[in-house]
Amino acid sequence: MPAQTQTATLADAIDIGFLDLAKSEFFITPGGFTGLRYKGAEHKRVSLRRALPIGSPGSYISVADHENKEIGIIKSIDALTGKQLEIVTAELGHRYYCPEISEIKSVKDKLGYVYMELTVIVDGKKHAKNCAVKDVNRNIRMLDSDRLIIFDVDGNRYLIHSLEALDKKSLKRLEPYLF
Amino acid sequence: MKTHRFSYDLDLNMNAAEGTAVFSEDGRIVSECSGETAAELYAGDIEEAGVIAGVGCGLVFVRLKDGDERIICRFSMSKLKPAGEFCKIVNYCAQTGIADIPDEEDPIVCEKCGRPLIEGLGVCLFCYNKIGLLKKAFVYLRPYSKGLLTTQIMLVVSSALFLSVPIFNRYLIDDFLRPMRGGFSDMLFIGIGMLVARAVGEVIFILSSRRFNKFSIGFANDLRTVTYDKMQKLSMSSLSKRTPGDLIRRIMEDTATIKNFFTDVGRWAVEQSIMFIIVVVILLLTNPWMTLLVIAPVPIVMLALSQFWQLIIIRFERQWRWHSRCNSILYDIIKGIRTVKSFGNEDLEIEKFSNATRQLARVSSDNEALWARLFPAITFFTGIGEFLVLYFGGRMILGGEVSMGVLVQFTMYIVFIYAPLRWLVSFPRWLADAMTGMVKVFEILDEEPDITESENATTAPVSGRISFDGVSFGYKSYEPVLKGITLDISPGEMIGIVGKSGAGKSTLINLAIRLYDPNAGTVSIGGTDIRDMPPAHLHERIGVVFQDSFLFAGTIFDNIAYAKPGAAPEEVIAACKAANAHDFIMATADGYHTMIGESGHSLSGGERQRLSIARAIIKNPDILILDEATSSLDVETESAIQESLDRLTKGRTTIAIAHRLSTLRSANRLFVLDKGKVAESGTHVELLKKRGIYYSLIMAQRQTSSKS
Repeated sequence: MPAQTQTATLADAIDIGFLDLAKSEFFITPGGFTGLRYKGAEHKRVSLRRALPIGSPGSYISVADHENKEIGIIKSIDALTGKQLEIVTAELGHRYYCPEISEIKSVKDKLGYVYMELTVIVDGKKHAKNCAVKDVNRNIRMLDSDRLIIFDVDGNRYLIHSLEALDKKSLKRLEPYLF
Repeated sequence: MKTHRFSYDLDLNMNAAEGTAVFSEDGRIVSECSGETAAELYAGDIEEAGVIAGVGCGLVFVRLKDGDERIICRFSMSKLKPAGEFCKIVNYCAQTGIADIPDEEDPIVCEKCGRPLIEGLGVCLFCYNKIGLLKKAFVYLRPYSKGLLTTQIMLVVSSALFLSVPIFNRYLIDDFLRPMRGGFSDMLFIGIGMLVARAVGEVIFILSSRRFNKFSIGFANDLRTVTYDKMQKLSMSSLSKRTPGDLIRRIMEDTATIKNFFTDVGRWAVEQSIMFIIVVVILLLTNPWMTLLVIAPVPIVMLALSQFWQLIIIRFERQWRWHSRCNSILYDIIKGIRTVKSFGNEDLEIEKFSNATRQLARVSSDNEALWARLFPAITFFTGIGEFLVLYFGGRMILGGEVSMGVLVQFTMYIVFIYAPLRWLVSFPRWLADAMTGMVKVFEILDEEPDITESENATTAPVSGRISFDGVSFGYKSYEPVLKGITLDISPGEMIGIVGKSGAGKSTLINLAIRLYDPNAGTVSIGGTDIRDMPPAHLHERIGVVFQDSFLFAGTIFDNIAYAKPGAAPEEVIAACKAANAHDFIMATADGYHTMIGESGHSLSGGERQRLSIARAIIKNPDILILDEATSSLDVETESAIQESLDRLTKGRTTIAIAHRLSTLRSANRLFVLDKGKVAESGTHVELLKKRGIYYSLIMAQRQTSSKS
């Protein structure tokens, strides 16, 4: 009978490199960047990148230095508190900008582009925003059964948190592009 | 004082705001947001200004000479391009002390309506000049204008002859059948008249269509060719803004849409409009009251038809999208069937496709049900005119106000009025499609190539000396890839370019072969700026082998001779022998006439590379450029190819990039690129002694190979 062998789990074999939050200290530089003191090193400009931005925006946050070299991964920002949580949340807000659509005022097909007049919510206030979308099949995308994201030609992103909560007129205007 | 202004739209806390960053001629930079000064500094204090792109947003920052970094402003992605331009101007001043502020800035919003302009489109989606576009397209129609006019007149004459048939009918009924008078000869005369009108009409129609097809095909061919010609002349930076699929669509589909509009749609639009007018005039002359009955429902029918088509088009577009989704899932799965099976994911893929095809079935079924409900209603609407004419005309016959012949004539003409309406409601859509096609085709045709041939271009012999003098370049204006590169390569020297991924190695080569022009500095060959050389002259003297060299569908011979059209068999065989390709070619049944490409003989990676080396050297170039030419090959194949390369590089200026640093050991000099700059240079031994970047790269590779 062959001897039973124990296969090492991937987590044993590979060090994901979670950041030891007890040894890390995020800070804001005088120039406005987010910095990190970690294991005796001081990084004056770090970037925070979500590994799973759609499903788990608060988990698996990669922290990289100014050369995009990963320093470590924050498993969940829930483990942070106080000022540290504030800095990390603010930095994520600085990197990911995706205003929420509250109303779709008009949708027009022009020269192969779809031109939209929107009302978006930024910082709790409503703002008018116009955008052009190319290749609607790819750039108007359902994230799940109720959430939708729109990418415009400039690279801006707009999110509809709930199609169900959207007003009927807006939904009707958007309807031909949902599939 | 001259200034350059960058308007941004977010404050430092990412709230919507109106801010401006202004760079003045005296080097002063001031950023103001919502009435407050966010930053104020001088270009002289700055080492570098840059843009960091986030997701949906970005920021402009400066690195001061003391090493500190400072955020100047934040912006949404709509402002990315102007942010890059701003940094470019600031950087130029920081590096040279000269404030070079451009006179005109590219507009980012339409001057007429204020809506943002789409980069690369060239026109505002709402304010583009439709007449101007039509005029531009007419230029390509001009050579065929006489022929098209003749066929148009023939078409109208043929249709007019068909229109005469109801008049014959009317006379037949009113003058012969109803009064029961007239003999067989009179009726035969009218019958022959109808037959002749119909037959002549058909003959003219056939002749007109034959002539028309000839002109229409010629117009389409001209438009395709001129668009393709222009595409070939555009630079890599212009072409890489668009996907291959997009370019193919413009050349094949958009030109076909324009051709269809101007020839098929245009032709029928003119014919149907003239017919409509002629019929209305004939009817008015026959009986104005009954004409009103025919025409009265036209606006309602038009409205009903246009609403119907709008609804149907939206529904069917959705169905088309699901269809396209199913196709793409299938394409993906079938292409990757080996992977699907190796992971045992057949059930998962079946489920994925089943979901998509179920959705397609649901949407199709809904659409068919809608069509079945609406189509009879539309048919009923379009029959209203006929119903009115029959009802009121019948009463008028009974009252003796009109004759039976007139009623028959009217009912026959109704078809001539209502049939085109169904067609005419689609006209705005065809016009919109044609406009879209025209904008896309003329975007290519109107684009000024940014790699141009200098007026004083010289065809001086190309020597092997290559010089880069202060060369800076970025594919995107806000992301410099090469920064102030200066290097001099002597004729016959073998140079190795080394560096991490993204260091700018391939970019350096792209500039040397002038696929792109530098943003600053000059690249010269034999002392002549390559911008002053005709591109064809330059490329004739440079041979290039890329990592993923593309071989075209055709024979091996054709692929080698591609670099030297008209090459003699001896030359092709010699090039293949030099590239160690001859033996495997001769092992195939058809030798140099073996077909390769998608449907031809399949070649291994090593064989493909050897053919591309043969193609590069057949023109006996003074300069040989090898961009990771052997990186994707196994060690054995690489050493076989390396042997031929060593033979070929002797006496030629060679620039080589190689992933495996051992292959560059024999280079006369090595340049190590790091973050877009030349960080180290020297021979292999000199660089090892330096214990710098090159040394670390070598050590890292040694460690990897010893582990494996």
